[in-house]
Amino acid sequence: MTPTLRRAAALLLATIYLPLVTAADTQPTHEFFLNNGLKVIVREDHRAPVVVSQLWYKVGSSYEPPGQSGISHALEHMMFKGSSKLGAGEASRILRELGAEENAFTSDDYTAYYQVLARDRLAVAFELEADRLASLTLPAEEFAREIEVIKEERRLRTDDKPSALAYERFKAMAYPASGYHTPTIGWMVDLERMSIDDLRAWYEAWYAPNNATLVVVGDVTPGDVRTLAERYFGLIEKRPVPDAKRPLELAEPGERRLTLHVKTQVPSLMMAFNTPSLATETANPQQIYALRLIAALLDGGYSARLPQRLERGEELVTSASAWYDAYARGDSLFVLSAAPNMQKSRTLADVEAGLWQQLEQLKQTAPSPEELERVRAQVIAGLVYERDSITQQATTIGMLETVGLSWRLMDEELAALEAVTPEDIQQAARAYFTRSRLSVAHVLPEESSDE
Amino acid sequence: MSNRSPISGCLLGLVLLCSFGLAACDSNSGEAVAAIAPAANVATPVESGQATAKDAQAQKARPESLAELDDQPLPRRKLDIQSWETDGGAKVLFVEAHELPMFDLRLTFAAGSSQDGDAPGLAMLTNAMLNEGIAGKDVTAIAEGFESLGADFGNGSFRDMAIVSLRSLSAADKREPAVQLFSQVVGQPSFPDDSLQRIKNQVLTGFEFQKQNPGKLASIEMFKLLYGKHPYAHPTEGTPESIPRIDVAQLRDFHAKAYTAGNVVIALVGDLSREEAEVLAAQVARALPLGAALPSPPVPSTPQPTHKHIDFRSNQTHLLLGQLGIARRDPDYAALYLGNQALGGGGFGTRLMEEVREKRGLTYGIYSGFSPMKTKGPFTISLQTRADMSEGTLQLVQEVVARFLKEGPTEAELERSKRQIAGSFPLSTASNADIVGQLGSIGFYDLPLNYLEDFMQQVQALSVEEVKAAMNRHLSPDGFVIVTVGPQVEQKPLPAPSEKPIEQPSSVPEH
Repeated sequence: MTPTLRRAAALLLATIYLPLVTAADTQPTHEFFLNNGLKVIVREDHRAPVVVSQLWYKVGSSYEPPGQSGISHALEHMMFKGSSKLGAGEASRILRELGAEENAFTSDDYTAYYQVLARDRLAVAFELEADRLASLTLPAEEFAREIEVIKEERRLRTDDKPSALAYERFKAMAYPASGYHTPTIGWMVDLERMSIDDLRAWYEAWYAPNNATLVVVGDVTPGDVRTLAERYFGLIEKRPVPDAKRPLELAEPGERRLTLHVKTQVPSLMMAFNTPSLATETANPQQIYALRLIAALLDGGYSARLPQRLERGEELVTSASAWYDAYARGDSLFVLSAAPNMQKSRTLADVEAGLWQQLEQLKQTAPSPEELERVRAQVIAGLVYERDSITQQATTIGMLETVGLSWRLMDEELAALEAVTPEDIQQAARAYFTRSRLSVAHVLPEESSDE
Repeated sequence: MSNRSPISGCLLGLVLLCSFGLAACDSNSGEAVAAIAPAANVATPVESGQATAKDAQAQKARPESLAELDDQPLPRRKLDIQSWETDGGAKVLFVEAHELPMFDLRLTFAAGSSQDGDAPGLAMLTNAMLNEGIAGKDVTAIAEGFESLGADFGNGSFRDMAIVSLRSLSAADKREPAVQLFSQVVGQPSFPDDSLQRIKNQVLTGFEFQKQNPGKLASIEMFKLLYGKHPYAHPTEGTPESIPRIDVAQLRDFHAKAYTAGNVVIALVGDLSREEAEVLAAQVARALPLGAALPSPPVPSTPQPTHKHIDFRSNQTHLLLGQLGIARRDPDYAALYLGNQALGGGGFGTRLMEEVREKRGLTYGIYSGFSPMKTKGPFTISLQTRADMSEGTLQLVQEVVARFLKEGPTEAELERSKRQIAGSFPLSTASNADIVGQLGSIGFYDLPLNYLEDFMQQVQALSVEEVKAAMNRHLSPDGFVIVTVGPQVEQKPLPAPSEKPIEQPSSVPEH
C-alpha cells in the first residue's frame, strides 16, 4: 500500500464510527473508597431489577511461592466453610434459598467471589461477603475433606484432560522468570502437603479490605450501594498487605521447545511469544493495542486469517486459534495453537511453518483498510453486546482494577484501538514475533514417535 | 454453537479460571438450549459439615440483613410477549427492548438429529453448511459480510432442534444488510461440495478428539443404551461410518423439507418496533422454502436396566446413570423440576451433592437432571470420582436416589427449592440473551405465552406427596442404565461421612 493510501485509511478509521460511538454511550459508573481502603465501583443498569455483586481480591496463583502452588484456589474453596455468623456452607444455603447465583473463581492475578440476585437482596450478599472477609473460620476437619475435592478437581480438569495438561506444562516453560509459571489449581505434590495453617497465613496476609475491590452492576443507585457498603464492610479494619511485585519476564528468554506425549489421539501445536501487557508496557501502549488487533486479524471471526487461509484455504489445520491477554498484572504471552489436518496428512512441522508464514506476512505487509475496518466493526459491536450482561460488565471492571489498570479503559478502548495504524501493526509483529521470545510445544499421542 | 473447533474450545477453557463449582451440568443430555425454567447454575455448598459448627452455632449472631427482607413479591423485567404468524406459517414471538441499540434473532427448526433418518449426522451437517455458500458469495465472503457489520451469526444442532441465530446492532444501516444476508444464508444456501468435504474432515477429526474425552464416550453409550432403535439413540454429530457417506444432494433434500417456514419458530428481542419486527420476520420467513411442520419422533420404549463399563486410562472414573424421563409438555414437568432441584439439580445444597461431595469429598460435582424434549428425553445423573472408590460411590448414589424416591423430599427441602425457584425468577429474564432463549423454548414446545408465570404458580402449589408421586411415576430405583468409563483398579471402601448436620429452620421469608 502506498503512503498516501495508508494515511487515507487511518483517517477513514478515525472518523467512520463516530455515530456509533454515540449509540454505544457509556453507562453511569461511580467509584469511591471506604475509610478502610475498600474500593467500590458501581455501574448502573436499570433494565431489570437484578444486581451482581463481585468482590475481587488482589491475590492469585502468580503471587504464590514455590511449594505453595494452588493455595489461593484452595483458600477460595475454604471461603465457603464458615465465618463468625455462618456455619460451613451456610452462606451458600442462604443464597441458594434466595434464588441467587453465586460462585467464585481464581486465576493467576485474582480471586473473586460473586452473587447475582434480585436487587432488594443485595444487603444479604454484602453481609455474607463481608463476614467471611472479616472472620473466616477455617476448620481443620473441613479442610481435610475439601482438599480431596480439590484433588478431584485437578484430576478432572487437568490430569485427565490432555489438552489442559499440555497447556499447564507449556505455560510453565513459557514463563521462566515470573509467578505465571505456577498453575492456578496447584501441582499435585503441593496439594498433598498443604496445611490449614498455610491457608490461615495466606488469608491473613491478603484478605484485607484495602486489598479488594467491590464491583456492583445492576438496578441500584450509588447512594444505596454506599450506604450498604459502609454498613457491612465499613467496620472491617485496614491492614498492611505484603508488597506485591508485578510478574515481570525476561524480554527475550531464548527459543524453548517441548515435546509432550499425552493420552490424545490427535497431535497439536502450541506457540507463544513473551510480550508485555498494558500494565507493563507503559511507554508505548500503542504496541499493546496493535497486538490485540493482530489477534483479531488472525482469529477474530470466521473471516479472519487463520480460519480463512489455514483452515479453509490450504486445509493445513482442522482448527487454529490466536490469543493475547493485554490485561495481565505482569508480562503476557501471545499464543497460537493449531491441530493439523490429519485427513490431508499434514504434520506438526507443516503447521508450525504455516503459522510462521502468517506471522511473517504481518511483518512484511500492512493489513488492508477493509480488513482493519472489519475487525474494528466487531470490536465496536462487541462493546454494545457486552452491555447485555451485567455479569460480564462487572467482570471486566473487576479484572481491570485488580490487575492495576482502571475500569475506565473499558470505555476508552474503542478510541485506543482506532488510533492504531497499519504501521503500528507491522512494527509490533516485527518486535514480538521473534525466535528469542518463542516457546513451542509439540503435543503428541503417547505411542507415536515425534512427527 | 458450532461443534467444529475442538482446539480453540480447549484453549479457551485453559485460559479461563479454576472455579469453585461447575457452572452448568455436563453436556450429556440432549437439548442444551431447552431449559425454560430459570437456569439453575447456582453453586452453593450446603448445610453440610456443620457438626463442628453445631455448638458454636447456638451463639452465632444471625445475619441481620435476612431479618430485614420484606415479603413483597419480587419485581422482574416486564415481558410483554407479542406473537403472530407470518405468511408461510412461521410462528413469531417478539419482545420489544429499546434499552440497548441491538437485537437478537433466533430461528428454531424442528430439524435436529432425530430427523436424520438412516444418515446419522445429516441434520448437523446441513446446519453447519448453511453459512458455507450462497449465490455469489463463498464462505469467506459471507463471514466478511456479517463481520464487517459487527453482526454475530450462530448455528447449532441438537436432537430435536436446529438453531440459527443473529445478533446485530439495530441501526437500519447495520440491521438491514445483516438480516438480508442472514435470510439468504438460512433460506437459500448453495452447499458447495468443497466445503462439505472440509467440514466432514473436521467432524472426523472431532471423533478422534472424542476418544480422549471419557465424559463424551459415556454420553454416547448412554443414549445408545437408553434409546435402542429410536431416533434419539445416535449422536447428533453422526458416526465415523455415517459421515463420509453423506452428500450434497442429501443436504439439499433435508434443507428443503426441514428448514421451511412451517417448521420454524422465530424468536426476536431487541430495539425494534412492532412494525420493524413484522417486516423483519416476514423477510426471513419469505426466504425459507415452503413446507409443513415435521412430525415429532415416536415415544421410545423403556430400556432394560444394565451396567456397561468402558475401559479407559484415566485417573478418575466417570459415572453416568440414566432412565427415560419426560416430554417437555408432560403435565408432571413442574413437579419433576422441583423434585430434581432437591435431589441433584440445584448444584450445591442438593441431596446428591451433600452426600457425595460435602460429606465424603468423593467428587468435584454431581448433577442430576431431566432433559425434557419433544418426546421422552433422558433423566441423567453424572459425576466423576477417584477410580479406586468408583464402585462404592456408584452404590452410594443409587442408595441416595432410592431413598429419595421412597421418602420424597423433606418439607424443608421442598420449601427451600420453591424459594430458590421463586427467587431466581427475575434472573431468568434479565438480559436480551435470556429472553430470546425463553421465547425460543416457549415457541418450539408450543407452550402458552404466559408460561413462565404458570410454571411459577404450579411450582409454588406443589406438596411433598405430589412431588414424590410424580418422581415415582417416571423413575424407578431399579430402572437405571449405568455407564462407567475409567480404569480397572482395586477398590477401596468409602470414607466415613461427616456427621449429619441438623436440619435448620429456614431463615428466609417466603414469597
